[in-house]
Amino acid sequence: MLAFLLRRVATALAMLLVVGTIIFSMLAIVPGDPAELLLSTGGGSASEEAIRNLRLEMGLDRPLLQQYLTFLGDSLRFDFGTSIVDGSSIAEAIALRLPRTLEIIAAGAVLALLLSIPAGTLAGLRAGGRFDGITSGLNALLTSIPGFVLGTLFIYVFAQVLGVLPAGGYVAFAEDPAQHLQMLILPAVTVALHLSTIIFRMTRASVLEMRGHDWVRTATAKGLSRGLVVRRHILRNALGPVITVVGLQLGILLGSTVLVEFVYNWPGLSGLLVTAVEQRDYPTVRAIILTVAAIFIGINLVIDILYSLLDPRIALQ
Amino acid sequence: MTALPLAARRSRRLPKLPKRMILPAVLLALLIVTPFAAPLLTPYDPVQISVRDRLAAPSWEHWLGQDEFGRDRLARVLYGGQVSLTVAFVATSIACVIGTLFGLIGAYFRGPFEFVTTRLADVVLCFPPILLALLVVTLFGPGADTLVAVLSILYFPAFARIAFSEALRVSALDFVEASRALGTPSHRIVLKTILPNIAGPVSVQYSLTAAAAITIESGLSFLGLGVVPPAPSWGQMIRGARAFMNQDPLGILIPCVALTLTIYAINFFCDRLRDTLDPKGNAGGKDVTSVPAPGRAPVQEEADVIASVRDLRLELRHPKGAVDVIEDVSLTLRANQCTALVGESGSGKSLTSLAIMGLLPGAIRQADGALHLRRKQGGMVDLGALGPKALEDVRGNDVAMIFQEPMTSLNPIHKVGAQMVEAILSHRKMPRAEARSRAIALLELVGINEAARRFDGYPHEMSGGMRQRVMIAMALTCEPRLLIADEPTTALDVTIQAEIIELLQKLRQDYADGLSLLFISHNLGIVSEIADRVVVMYSGQVVEEGPAQQVLTDPHHPYTRALMESMPSAHADLHSARGDRLQAISGTPPLPDARPSGCSFRDRCPMALPACAEARPPLFASADGSRAARCIRAPEAQEAA
Amino acid sequence: MTPLLEVRGLNKSYPAGRKGLFGKRMMQVLRDVSLTVQPGEVLGLVGESGSGKSTIGKAILRLIPSSSQAMRFDGQDLNTLPSADLRRLRKDMQIIFQDPYASLDPRKTVRAVLSEALDTHDLHRGAARQPRLTALMEMVGLNPIFLDRRPHEFSGGQRQRIGIARALAVEPKFIVCDEAVSALDVSIQAQVLNLLADLRAKTGISLLFISHDLSVVRYISDRVMVLYLGRVMEVGGADQVHFAPRHPYTAALISAEPSLGHAPDRIRLTGEIPSPLTPPSGCVFRSRCPYALPACAETAPELRPAGEGRLKACIRDDILQGT
Repeated sequence: MLAFLLRRVATALAMLLVVGTIIFSMLAIVPGDPAELLLSTGGGSASEEAIRNLRLEMGLDRPLLQQYLTFLGDSLRFDFGTSIVDGSSIAEAIALRLPRTLEIIAAGAVLALLLSIPAGTLAGLRAGGRFDGITSGLNALLTSIPGFVLGTLFIYVFAQVLGVLPAGGYVAFAEDPAQHLQMLILPAVTVALHLSTIIFRMTRASVLEMRGHDWVRTATAKGLSRGLVVRRHILRNALGPVITVVGLQLGILLGSTVLVEFVYNWPGLSGLLVTAVEQRDYPTVRAIILTVAAIFIGINLVIDILYSLLDPRIALQ
Repeated sequence: MTALPLAARRSRRLPKLPKRMILPAVLLALLIVTPFAAPLLTPYDPVQISVRDRLAAPSWEHWLGQDEFGRDRLARVLYGGQVSLTVAFVATSIACVIGTLFGLIGAYFRGPFEFVTTRLADVVLCFPPILLALLVVTLFGPGADTLVAVLSILYFPAFARIAFSEALRVSALDFVEASRALGTPSHRIVLKTILPNIAGPVSVQYSLTAAAAITIESGLSFLGLGVVPPAPSWGQMIRGARAFMNQDPLGILIPCVALTLTIYAINFFCDRLRDTLDPKGNAGGKDVTSVPAPGRAPVQEEADVIASVRDLRLELRHPKGAVDVIEDVSLTLRANQCTALVGESGSGKSLTSLAIMGLLPGAIRQADGALHLRRKQGGMVDLGALGPKALEDVRGNDVAMIFQEPMTSLNPIHKVGAQMVEAILSHRKMPRAEARSRAIALLELVGINEAARRFDGYPHEMSGGMRQRVMIAMALTCEPRLLIADEPTTALDVTIQAEIIELLQKLRQDYADGLSLLFISHNLGIVSEIADRVVVMYSGQVVEEGPAQQVLTDPHHPYTRALMESMPSAHADLHSARGDRLQAISGTPPLPDARPSGCSFRDRCPMALPACAEARPPLFASADGSRAARCIRAPEAQEAA
Repeated sequence: MTPLLEVRGLNKSYPAGRKGLFGKRMMQVLRDVSLTVQPGEVLGLVGESGSGKSTIGKAILRLIPSSSQAMRFDGQDLNTLPSADLRRLRKDMQIIFQDPYASLDPRKTVRAVLSEALDTHDLHRGAARQPRLTALMEMVGLNPIFLDRRPHEFSGGQRQRIGIARALAVEPKFIVCDEAVSALDVSIQAQVLNLLADLRAKTGISLLFISHDLSVVRYISDRVMVLYLGRVMEVGGADQVHFAPRHPYTAALISAEPSLGHAPDRIRLTGEIPSPLTPPSGCVFRSRCPYALPACAETAPELRPAGEGRLKACIRDDILQGT
């Protein structure tokens, strides 16, 4: 078990290094002068001096290897440098905004789990029945609506037509808890609905698969009650694949929440990111992506360890 | 002979499009083709601005109205669809080709290729898709070309991963090995054998990816970082209409519906495709075990009868009408007796035993007959008259069962001891510690060394033989009067099989008083060692029954006789090199829906008469009533004995 | 007579699981196996799971890599054969698999399956193809009108016949039958066994018949080799080994086999088959052997003559001397 843990942590660190390297080298493999590229907007080119300044600022004049090592070292200390647009600290901006993004994701994930695991289990147990028909049909429809479309429609319905919820915006929790929560509802529900379609599907499939295993028949033959059979011999086994998918999806959500935040004007990472991309503020984009990828790798590490606790065979592989 | 080449030409049959694929295929085709038919559907230019008509409502000229710049919305939706679909499908196709190639090479040649393929996928999967896309957009600026490039890079690892794991699975199959053994060149094996067999999962992935690519493309355009204005795209239309959603909800609704409908059509197609390719996944059916039906037959009250099956008829529910899989099977199981149920696969022996457990699969229905069981309190009960709760109480308590596959019959994620204790506690009220010591005692009884240590171990730490011992111990936890063993040694090695048989013999003698054993097997050798009575089944019917010794030395039914004739182990004097041949039964057992008229065995029977085709023969009992055979020639055989 | 196939000192290891943090454990599934097959001979390989019997078949066909001191087939050295020549040689050595469902490509018709074999070795092209396919189908007892069907339209026994036809298509001199009848019901198994016996009588083909079923192996084989944990325990004539085993393991195996009628005087084995990862020292069978002596733990016994051209790997000569 210890060997398994160490191996998994080592793999995660290696992945992190590879991800960092890739992000670093993307700028290096871009054809032409990166500084010139970043400063060019809409066909117009920047002045010689501006380019020279940026090159100095980003250290692009130094040898590649040195740039690389500096980048890795700085990243380890969470020193992402400053924005090339306004010179503000990137790490500070991320530290301010990341918690807001994580809040939406956490609220959405909790809602999604509460909704989809029971529904998926029931649908899996009664596959082909009426409940399964309705939930699976609804699920297929929801899966097909992209998050930002759902968000836009929600704003129209709940803010414009019904007027029951704010169309967007943000107030810090410390300032006004009630309004903060009210503003959280729509973004969180949007994220939750999207996430729950995936968890529902996985739970249903996993339950459907597990219920056909020989040990379920053994459990029934032992005379266990139906509830016990479902809980201990179907659901418990089905959870492994489900949490793996949840982990993977949480990582993807770190990205797609950008769209939801944008729809609701939620000042999470998205605003920072979208502005940075528009202004070609590469250091900022790079820092955000590195942070998110690191969180993603961390989540998957936790999930792997959780899974190995759920299923003792995993650690042996 | 001349007919043959003709027959050959007739059928290079290609699998036809299955019925359930027609609707999704048509819907998808429609949604993909319509945008590209835009010039035929609307004369307007999607980028032509007409400020005077901004936000105009639908009219005869402009069916869907005009947008915030007065551009024709129908034209914008259609041309926007062109862009979205082109970006998505071009990118998906590139990703599919490259990824599949990577996967195939990785799986077939293994080694470093494998490492690169799997690790590459791991790395790309670390980046949330939208973020990776944004990173590239930062460097190269927005635009359709950038999008295609980004989406291809984003999605090819998914294809590589699917193709890799599927190709690995297929490569391990014997038919690929057979091609290699034939000396077929590698590229031919990969392209002609492996590729067609992984095409299913890859095409499912293709649909999934196309849907995801459209979502991302429209998302980026929505952020203003995808397709560059003024070129239309659905994401951009939503972005533009957002500001006016109050005055003009239609502006939001139209692109939202177009986008959702397209993604839905792709997903729908994908779902149906998956179901069609892998019918197992959609093997729905409610997860109910079919409950026993109350019987009409009177209860047998002889005191030593533990269980009885009377005229059992089971039917398989089928869209095209029910098929009888079991026809009038009757069994009487007595205390201290081992009854063996013998037959080949498909004979119905396992279904019969599951019926006694009340564990029939949902698709099988008890159409007729009665199942009675003696409870510990003494009385016989009709299983069909018990409710589900009462059945739970009977299972494991009055009747227990062990199964063929010890490797899969125990839950891999629970400790062995926990699985025994839960069985005890569901029938007996006792402290956990007491249940534990009882379980350990049982593990010792079935011959497991270091029982206390094994109690806290997992099934995967044990060999097949040990797991089967655990299964036996688990079955005995509540001292059942009837133990059903369904091919308990078939999956085991011959020396281990001998040990398990010996264990069962010992348990019958020492353990529970009056244990009745129903032993299901296809192996007449084992049956002759353990059984007191033998019941032979063929194609869902009992064809012969009687005391084991008599049936196995002097079978009365031609099927039983033929079965014994075809066993090499019963003919130690024969050897193939000396020109001896086994007396094989010709043909194969009939499927339940294709049984011949009259006697089910007649078209394989060496001594069939014309009369055999007329009516299904009844069981002819011997003079002393101890034996019976379902053959119109049985009376002859019984007299000869 | 020069043997058709001669294998000396065949070894095979697999990586199995991990050891410590990053190390890999090797599991030796075959150790120092030697065998010969004469032209027209059927050699039976018997053993329980983990004995390595199937590995031998695949190693000989070079379907998996292995190492050996010598491996000669029909006068050619398989260890040094260039891959192009090996492909040509595959025409002469074929294999029949256990699982009639996994051994046929579900997407190919019988015609495509058999044609792949013929095309690969450039046999019976053009007008000669159809008569050859018809003849093959008839040879294995299938109606030639089934040529354009796909595997799912056949029963298990019929599929097994198609597998045999595929192996026979290239007119090999030698076929590995890897548990070729084990998945079949008794009545069908007898049909296929008879078919193999007939083919052999007619064509003089050599077979390596791998099975866990002793009676089947005895019936079909001329000589039998008994394996345990990747090592040869005993070799001898089929009837000799079956009715008068010289090695305690063979004796136990045969007595464990259930038989009709009389209850056998069973040799009891204790314990489980050890894992190939941690085989006992010395004789691998000693941990379960009723006749084991302290000396058995010291060195692995050599395979040595035991009279009548038989070989056994056991240090005791005072047991199992019956005939």
